[in-house]
Amino acid sequence: MTTIRRFCCNDLLRFSLVNFDHLTETFNMSFYMTYLARWPDYFNVAEGPGNRIMGYIMGKVEGQGESWHGHVTAVTVSTEYRRQQLAKKLMNMLEDISDKMDKAYFVDLFVRASNMPAIKMYEKLGYVIYRRVLRYYSGEEDGLDMRKALSRDVEKKSIIPLKRPITPDELEYD
Amino acid sequence: MSSKFGLAGGIPERRVRPIWDAVDSRQFKSALKLSTGLLSKYPNSPYALALKALILERMGKPDEALNICITAKEKLHSHDAIHMDDLTLSTLQIVFQRLDRLDLATSCYEYACGKFLNNLELMMGLFNCYVREYSFVKQQQTAIKMYKVVSEERFLLWAVCSIQLQVLFSSGGEKLLQLAEALLKKHIVTHSLHEPEALLIYVSILEQQAKFEAALEVLSGDMGSLLAIEVDRLRIKGRLLARAGDNATAAEVFQKILELCPDDWESFLHYLGCLLEDDCCWRKEIINDPLYPSQLVDRPSLLTEETFDSRISGALSFVKKLQTETNNEPIRCPFLGNIEIERRRRLYGKANDGELIEALLEYFRRFSHMACFTSDVEMFIRILSHNEKLELLGKLMKIFETSPTTPIKKLGQSITVFKVQELIGSTFSHPVVELENNVIQMVEMYCGNLQLSKDLDPQENMHGEELLSMACNLLVQLFWRTRNLGYLLEAIMVLEFGLTIRRFVWQYKILLLHLYSFLGAYPLAYEWFGTLDVKNILLETVSHHILPQMLTSPLLSDLTDLLKEYLKFMDDYQREAADLTFLAYRHRNYSKVIEFVQFKERLQHSHQYLLGRCETSILQLKQTSANFENTEIILGNSNFDRQLLKFSSEDECKSLTFNDDLQSRPWWSPTPEKNYLLEPYNGGFFCQRESLQHAGGRQANVRKVIGRRSLLPRLVYVSIQSSSENIGTDGSIMDNSSSPELKHLLERYADSFGLSLDKAIEVILRTAEEEKSIEELGPETIDWMNFAVFVNALYLCSNQHGVLNRDGQRASSWHIVDRLIQKCISERVLHAQPILTCPGGDLSFFVQMVSETCAWHALIIQSCIRSLVPSGKKKKKVGPADQLNSPLLQSVCTSIESLHSVIESVKTWIDEQIGRPEDQNIDTLLSHLNVEKCDEGPGRVLGVLKQVSASVDSELGERILQAFQTWSYVDVIRKIVKGQHTVLSEFQRICDSKLKLLLSLKQSISGA
Repeated sequence: MTTIRRFCCNDLLRFSLVNFDHLTETFNMSFYMTYLARWPDYFNVAEGPGNRIMGYIMGKVEGQGESWHGHVTAVTVSTEYRRQQLAKKLMNMLEDISDKMDKAYFVDLFVRASNMPAIKMYEKLGYVIYRRVLRYYSGEEDGLDMRKALSRDVEKKSIIPLKRPITPDELEYD
Repeated sequence: MSSKFGLAGGIPERRVRPIWDAVDSRQFKSALKLSTGLLSKYPNSPYALALKALILERMGKPDEALNICITAKEKLHSHDAIHMDDLTLSTLQIVFQRLDRLDLATSCYEYACGKFLNNLELMMGLFNCYVREYSFVKQQQTAIKMYKVVSEERFLLWAVCSIQLQVLFSSGGEKLLQLAEALLKKHIVTHSLHEPEALLIYVSILEQQAKFEAALEVLSGDMGSLLAIEVDRLRIKGRLLARAGDNATAAEVFQKILELCPDDWESFLHYLGCLLEDDCCWRKEIINDPLYPSQLVDRPSLLTEETFDSRISGALSFVKKLQTETNNEPIRCPFLGNIEIERRRRLYGKANDGELIEALLEYFRRFSHMACFTSDVEMFIRILSHNEKLELLGKLMKIFETSPTTPIKKLGQSITVFKVQELIGSTFSHPVVELENNVIQMVEMYCGNLQLSKDLDPQENMHGEELLSMACNLLVQLFWRTRNLGYLLEAIMVLEFGLTIRRFVWQYKILLLHLYSFLGAYPLAYEWFGTLDVKNILLETVSHHILPQMLTSPLLSDLTDLLKEYLKFMDDYQREAADLTFLAYRHRNYSKVIEFVQFKERLQHSHQYLLGRCETSILQLKQTSANFENTEIILGNSNFDRQLLKFSSEDECKSLTFNDDLQSRPWWSPTPEKNYLLEPYNGGFFCQRESLQHAGGRQANVRKVIGRRSLLPRLVYVSIQSSSENIGTDGSIMDNSSSPELKHLLERYADSFGLSLDKAIEVILRTAEEEKSIEELGPETIDWMNFAVFVNALYLCSNQHGVLNRDGQRASSWHIVDRLIQKCISERVLHAQPILTCPGGDLSFFVQMVSETCAWHALIIQSCIRSLVPSGKKKKKVGPADQLNSPLLQSVCTSIESLHSVIESVKTWIDEQIGRPEDQNIDTLLSHLNVEKCDEGPGRVLGVLKQVSASVDSELGERILQAFQTWSYVDVIRKIVKGQHTVLSEFQRICDSKLKLLLSLKQSISGA
């Protein structure tokens, strides 16, 4: 029961039930607004009956040449609406936009190395661990950079895993 | 520009770079040193000056920075224009912005643009300045100029957006819309449009003028292909068709959307609305709250019966088709759609009511194991009659009992049944014992199913977590019905137990924080609120969970932090909002430009923000009120209260916005307007969540409160000014200048009670003279008491001594205040119960009386004393005998005595409670739980928890077993006792400081 539409500012006033979740970060305003101002097609919300916010995804598109890619910054689903493949729907939508509208080569995302449920979910959605980023989260926990190749990357070059882990300062994009 | 005039404001890049590097790495001292060096070489360079100003501002020297900026600006205006580049201007702009002098930055750019005509870079800078100032007209003019220079689509759209903003924020914009349309049309003829966002704006310009046909034409023409996602295009098309009144085609469009996205509930509602021609959300006269846009249709369709039937059967077969096609996917919309169709039939008066229930049952059969089942159908269950609700519940239970399924699904279904019970409020008519049984059943079910979650990651939600929230709500209901404190304690136990098993369950934390607040254990409430990690925009939407109770608690320092963090967030956002808007302009997301400006307006008018500003000022006064000089310094700050006065203006109050998200509030949690738990049990009335969100009463009340609280700091200021300036040392009243203002403020204050000043004064007089009881003043008692204090100040500086009472006698306003405070405190404290066993009692009332009413009155007293008994150099030549004989001084002395004795009585009440040993308090609370004997009443649930936590069943897994071991109900009780103790100690401290002050005042008079 999902109307997926662009996220708008007023949704910030209604997403508290989603953001109370301890793994969902509530960013500062300029972060949200920058995403809305620059990549509105990559920031979508799923709304259910009674105008309830079920979950949302925020992302962007960036990079040069063959590393032109879509990036998932956050994807989250409210407790009540879990276990019904909503995250998958939101991810598919972002992949679709990266693939068809922006002709990106791949989509990537970062996840805490300890967040096994999320890693498993991304794997099910076709993402592979491309590389490990040492101490990516607040200088403490490692992050995994996961990728899924899009149709433009015919040879799937973008997802060949790197052999060694990298440090955050080696990242091309933040 | 830079190529023409040289790099970096005419200064070689290599000389400037180190300065910027130092600034970026916050090495301001060395930056300043470098900048001084640079200035010695380029003393007249506006850029070098701007850099120095920037550094000084960062170093916290705003005045020096401003002076240098102004010098730079003058040099720009007078000096050889060779150095007037965007780099210089934008550096100056940064500093001016940080100094809140946007006007100066704008004037620099205006000058530059006047000097170098058609320079695009400078014009963009100027446009940006106008964006920051929200000068929509000037934005438009500048954008048009840029458009004329280069004919680029983006500049035209900047102008069009500026026009739209003018239309939105001022009246009479029709002509402007025509202008925007004409500009776009002309551009399209020669250039067409190339950005999807430009197309959206064009459509919206046409739509705003009700030119739906034209908009549809644009959409279906070549430019329509700019919208790459077909569903997006169809949604706009459907909306335009519906607004144009072409319901039939609109319905077809929405049908198409549903074929592409069969789970799109909003489109389904539009589809049905267009089909039955009753969709209200397109109608112009319906002003929807943008936060809660679409509501269900609540008026019957006007179609003839025959047409209605045929359309409904069309809808039914379409829905059936969708159901069949999506049968293998977890798609619920077509099934919920079925329920909505039945609801519409019923609305039309055509339905066999059994069908609606049958549709709900069908939904139950398919989706009852899902956590969202109840919220999906909530809106439908609400419209059923009481008997229908019970019938539905009975049938659901039957299906539930007979449907074979997996343990996890079974658990989900059980939870759904409990949730439906909670929703229809059926438990309110159950006998107490049955309710207890329900709670036990829920807790046992939670514990019995823990093993299902043993392999889950600790971060993941466990199965059945909702059960404990529902058990808590039932226990609170039991408390409401029986007033037995034990149930509340058990509610706390259940939640604390759940959090021991998994510490991330935010639902438990919210319930707990309200329970602890109700028990007066504010530190615990505040602590749990802290664990919710509420920050940024959540401060605006969910602070309502904690702020109201903290405002009336004695934890002033925690309250200070809370308010500070919230206001900082709001102010920071207001400061950066315009720059973010400009970012949207730059990235050509024009629809976001409009949205951002509207959103900024919305937050700027947040009722919580205005209240936060008022309460911060009041809090500052509370915290300094023991020191008269400090209070005067704060009050003397001209910005301190004048801005607040604006908040209570009618316009401000009308445009207040309500952004708090109340979805997470339990029905029983008190709001400033309603506290069910303090009222007698009303036998089954069930508070509906919606009524909290949309309560008109709530909004009206908030407006009154803001109106009143925003006057308060100024009232304190004018009151003490009047009393010190207008009293001669012999007690005579001099010509007064402040009292007209005081009178005016009090008139506004009285107005917030809906009364004239005279009538309001009559109320306090009658209350003081026992003709009216304090209770009749209701929840506004404190406001009335504060009013009485300021009325005394008014009479103090008027030549009419005292208030005219009913017999035409003049009653001393001092006496009235003394009497009222005594009635509120001394008489009440005699019957006040300890907070340990009497939750929701008098504590917060006493806190407010002492920290506000008594504090304001003490300030007025101090102000009088200063006039009557001058000390030190100010000493006037009046003999002590004259002073002591003055009737005013005698009134003051009596008032001091009276205040001292009432505060003393509160302190005795506190001392008695603080003096009780901790273990004794723990035993008292435990005695409410019948720990040993638990056949009925509170204690049974705790019994279950005790039994479960003693388990060593390895089936539960290591993690859960370990959690059991750390669980201790006595620790929970101890925490409550300690939390209450902290609150009492803080309040004791406040009382002590007031008593000390009054004592010193007494001494100052007797020593004079």
